[in-house]
Amino acid sequence: MRIGLLTEGGYPYVSGDARLWCDRLVRGLGQHEFDIYALSRSERQEDEGWVQLPPQVSRVRTAPLWMAEDDGVVHGRRARRRFAECFGELAAAVCAAPAVLDGSEVSGGPTASEASRGVVADRFGSALYGLAELARDEGGLVGALRSEGAVRALERACRAPGALRAARTARVPDLLSVAAHIERALRPLSLDWYEDDGLGSVDLCHAAAGGEAALPGLLALHFAGVPLLVTEYGVQLRAHYLASAAAEESPAVRALLAAFHGALAAEVYHRAALITPGNTHARRWQERCGADRAKLRTVHPGMEAARFAEVGERPDGSGGADPDTLVWVGRIEPAKDLISLLHSFAEVRKEAPKTRLRIVGAPAEGPEGALYLGHCKALAAQLFPDEAEGVHAVGDNPVSFEEIGGPEVPSLAAAYASGAVVVLSSVVEGFPISLVEAMFCGRATVSTDVGAVVEVIGGTGLVVPPRNPRALAEACVALLRDPERRARLGAAARARALELFTVEQNITAFHGIYLEIVSRSPVRRLVVDDTGDPLPFGVPAEAHVPGRWTEARLMVTGRPRWAAGAPVRATAPLPAGEGA
Amino acid sequence: MSELVRDGSGGARGDAGGDPGNDSGNDSGSDPGGDSGGARTPAGGGRRGAVDPVKALMHRHRELCERAVDPLEIAAGLEAHGVTDRTAARFRHRDVFSLAEEMYARVARDPDPAPPPVAPEHSGARADWAVLSLLPGALCAATVAGLRLTEGQPRLAVAAGGTLAVTLGVRAALRRGPLSTTHRTTSGTLAWTCWLIVYALFGDGLLSVGIEGGPDGPWPPATAPVLALALACAPAAWCAHLFTAGARRKLTVSRGLEEFAVSVRPLLLGAFALFLCALGALLALSREAPSEPGAYNGPGAYAGAGALGALLLLARLLTTRGFTHAPAVVLGAAGAAEVTALTTVFAARLPGCSFVAVPVETVADAWGPGAVPTLVCGAAALVLLIHATRTLTRASAHATPGGTP
Repeated sequence: MRIGLLTEGGYPYVSGDARLWCDRLVRGLGQHEFDIYALSRSERQEDEGWVQLPPQVSRVRTAPLWMAEDDGVVHGRRARRRFAECFGELAAAVCAAPAVLDGSEVSGGPTASEASRGVVADRFGSALYGLAELARDEGGLVGALRSEGAVRALERACRAPGALRAARTARVPDLLSVAAHIERALRPLSLDWYEDDGLGSVDLCHAAAGGEAALPGLLALHFAGVPLLVTEYGVQLRAHYLASAAAEESPAVRALLAAFHGALAAEVYHRAALITPGNTHARRWQERCGADRAKLRTVHPGMEAARFAEVGERPDGSGGADPDTLVWVGRIEPAKDLISLLHSFAEVRKEAPKTRLRIVGAPAEGPEGALYLGHCKALAAQLFPDEAEGVHAVGDNPVSFEEIGGPEVPSLAAAYASGAVVVLSSVVEGFPISLVEAMFCGRATVSTDVGAVVEVIGGTGLVVPPRNPRALAEACVALLRDPERRARLGAAARARALELFTVEQNITAFHGIYLEIVSRSPVRRLVVDDTGDPLPFGVPAEAHVPGRWTEARLMVTGRPRWAAGAPVRATAPLPAGEGA
Repeated sequence: MSELVRDGSGGARGDAGGDPGNDSGNDSGSDPGGDSGGARTPAGGGRRGAVDPVKALMHRHRELCERAVDPLEIAAGLEAHGVTDRTAARFRHRDVFSLAEEMYARVARDPDPAPPPVAPEHSGARADWAVLSLLPGALCAATVAGLRLTEGQPRLAVAAGGTLAVTLGVRAALRRGPLSTTHRTTSGTLAWTCWLIVYALFGDGLLSVGIEGGPDGPWPPATAPVLALALACAPAAWCAHLFTAGARRKLTVSRGLEEFAVSVRPLLLGAFALFLCALGALLALSREAPSEPGAYNGPGAYAGAGALGALLLLARLLTTRGFTHAPAVVLGAAGAAEVTALTTVFAARLPGCSFVAVPVETVADAWGPGAVPTLVCGAAALVLLIHATRTLTRASAHATPGGTP
């Protein structure tokens, strides 16, 4: 099978997002052929080069998203009219979309809101494809999107009745800013990737992120009918909201851009054959943005389990750790709330005076991280005086700050192995990697109920509310006093992690999803004979029956074996003789 | 094996305590500790007895709520502050989204939009382009003075060196400041521009000796008008700067595109008129200066240089804002017209072709040879001016180049 992997600012660039996951996916699915279509985010990223690519990557095509390549085409009268129509429609859909959502809460019921949302999504989608067709037929889209016509269309849409309240206050600089942003976001429309020798030739598009990365996939679906799979570990729309909160823009600009990205996300979710969120949190956002529940398949991110195997499989349950040590591992930054951890440790010391706390990790980049580390160290020194074995020994603090690679902690696994209980005290967390690593190491854990923690830990560790040092302390003391419970929890945690969070499960899941998509929506492609004429009955009639003819073979071998085993030819076009 | 200390018991106990230990934590906590005091105020009888817990939450995140453009933005912001669905459950909401929707619906929005942002002033970099814009004039003056003081072989060297220096000076002046551009000018445009300047130097003289049947030897160049043109680089840069700054100011206060266009048009015409005045003054001054003996020094030569200066400024203004096509065409047309005028004068010497020179000779007889470039450049400048009043009054022409938010 030929997979078109779509990335934006990610794989195969050295500094890309999620490149590790993509790399594992591509290497793990060696039976498929991968074409990589990468959008780069900055000149620096492009200069830093690519990671080493495995042989199953047959082609890499890149395009800069940070630079507009104006092809110098100036539209004629007819093309200009076509552009004005499409862009006006797009602008109207963007300006109206949130207003409809607002209005539905006041007047209409849920069905009315769903229906009107559907109409807006259709308008947005058809306008988007209209622009893409214009770019393919005539070119010159970059120039047109920057032109006065585009700004004028935006202004008209903002002033139209029923437009979003914030949009009505848009001033000229706001309009220009929005037009520039939309021009940047729609740059993938001008690419020449959608021909028959490009994305038209793949069997399946797999977008490694939502938003702009999935835009080429949408167009491939529109032009060539290639099914689209979207994987989102972090929801792009949410990232956009967080970034826009930091940016100094007027409310009108932020409202319009939020509406644009919301409409784009809805269109991506609507058209995708399947969507794979990385955790429940992403899944909730996707459902909220209009993703059909039936299309969602949560695929947890996979992590390298081998390096924790030695620690995790030590026979004596406790793993040879000091039974009085708590360990915290992570990047030191305010969101991790080490202050709360230190306070709770003070409570722990009241109950179990021999306990020690090891804080392993480097400060986050930038001055803030270093400042926070200094603050934590000062607090630790204040709360806990140095203590020694006897009168003649040199004492030290029960709280130690260490970094991986130091003499005490040579590796990450050693850091986890050194403690009886691993603590996570964050107030904000996405997918808690350090918790998964602790689970791989078979440690008992106490964590705060933030982000995806509950989803990750299941029932195999203690969970307390965030910002509650006393609850954290009580949970720690309970585990410190009960070695058997620690061992039990640790074993359960390791078993859970091995089941859910290994690289293998991730790859197996995607392998299965690829087959599922292709079996349900095979690409309809004309089979031609040697002279280039269409071959009658080139694709057997069975190929159009959804599901059946490929799944018959799958059922024979059974689920686990085909998932891991040899490739199954699930793609149309077959040679004429085989299927008949 | 499912052991989950859920927040029901633990949280309530922590809140009911309200002991000095917790408070000291708040005081010494830095960022997360800063608002942690409020985070422990759940619905239903926290220690502060909040009747309306959502109101307290809104107060804590009031900036987020006031800034938010839709409920999802509040939801994203709340999540970034550690609010989860389980926290939302304490506010009697199914999830963060519905909590955010309530907050969005309840927040009192300012009916008046925020005052328009003040355009940023870049005064620091002003000095260097202002100085650089004086460079061509200074170099040209030095060259002209050198030409006056030298004779023979050294004179040629001074002329060559001066030409090179002025060219480099003009390049440097156009690299920085309001006349600089990131849009590529074609080599054709560049060549026609050079030709127009060369014509200003030699063209009038060649035309007049050509009509009289010459040339019989080298004829002196008209250095004074070209000196005035080089000196005019500085007012050109200032006028362009005035126009740019004014347009940016109008941009920030305009509510609509039409309003912007209406308010920018007088600005453009004003800046252009200001430049014409400055150029006229410079031309008048340079006419007073002692000129090359024998050079054509009629008023027509100065009018031609003035028209050329106006044409070049308009072309540059259009080019800096990305409209490269029209200046290229118009400069090309003007250059071609001057070539034609010269060619017809010499082509008239061919037998039977004397009629081709009639128009040029008529014009030159009536107003002097300087009338040819005046008419050509003036017409071209007029065309560009009309074009500029339509294009440079568009808001999209004044967008910053890397205008991505």
